[in-house]
Amino acid sequence: MATSLAAMTARRATTFTHFPFSSLTSQAVSIQLDRPVSRASFAIGKCDMLNNCPTMEDLDGGMASDVEREEEEAVTDLLRDRFRLCTISIAEGEAKQCGMEVSQPIITCISDLAFKFAEQLSKDLELFAQHAGRKSVNMEDVILSAHRNDHLAASLRSFCNDLKTKEPNLERKRKKNPRREGRVAPDLLRTPDT
Amino acid sequence: MEKENTFDPDLVHEIFKLVWKRKAAERGKNELAENIEDEVGASSSKRIRPTFVEYVPRTMSYPSHVCVSVLMIKANANALKLSSELLRVFVAEAIQRAATIAEAEGSVKIEATHLERILPQLLLDF
Repeated sequence: MATSLAAMTARRATTFTHFPFSSLTSQAVSIQLDRPVSRASFAIGKCDMLNNCPTMEDLDGGMASDVEREEEEAVTDLLRDRFRLCTISIAEGEAKQCGMEVSQPIITCISDLAFKFAEQLSKDLELFAQHAGRKSVNMEDVILSAHRNDHLAASLRSFCNDLKTKEPNLERKRKKNPRREGRVAPDLLRTPDT
Repeated sequence: MEKENTFDPDLVHEIFKLVWKRKAAERGKNELAENIEDEVGASSSKRIRPTFVEYVPRTMSYPSHVCVSVLMIKANANALKLSSELLRVFVAEAIQRAATIAEAEGSVKIEATHLERILPQLLLDF
């Protein structure tokens, strides 16, 4: 199981390296746009071109919505795979720091958890921004979404300040991060006792 | 690994957009149903809106001039970077906590049981 999964992800990794991610997504979008424009724009929510009138077929349920759902699932799966690749690299880097190994199913599991977390996060962010009467999500919303955990909020806030102050060289502040997270982790671990 | 691992903000953005689109499409459908109702049904039908809305899409044909515009929310670049950092911390925490448990048990490989042990608290913390 573990080996086949590793092989699978390795194969995916090689295919991904051939195309930059952006080209992959544009491919996916262009496939969807082959369909009639009004439906595509409604289903995939190309909401920049807003004034398309959905026709009757778009809304009468049945086959059309099935096709839409399938396509949406395909897009979700693609994103989930890309997300998993990122998770694998993060998890393995982290495990290497601890001098541990991580079995593949665990990484997959954590990746799915994180994906669910991301979906939930996006809903939260949208609601926060709307509540503030804004049309775009900003950093305050992200920090607010972590407000239940003081350590996490503090860590995000300092990252946010880093982003603000060091706008020009983005790469340097990322390098600092793992050490700071290493400091946060024991704090978080202690919380159950209190 | 020299290159710092983190989630690609573009990837995070696409996940966000997917969720927002889904919600926007839903909102759009509801709005459309309401518009139709306002045009077709007279004021009397407003009282029973909740049930009426459900039936409209299947049974009635729409006047072609009815449009719905759905606004989709945007995200600024720094917010996306911060979100990907949040997700990265989530993964890093999961691994580090599981590693602590595994170490305590004298194992060199993080297995399912270790993740199970830390999962409840991890989910409460995020």
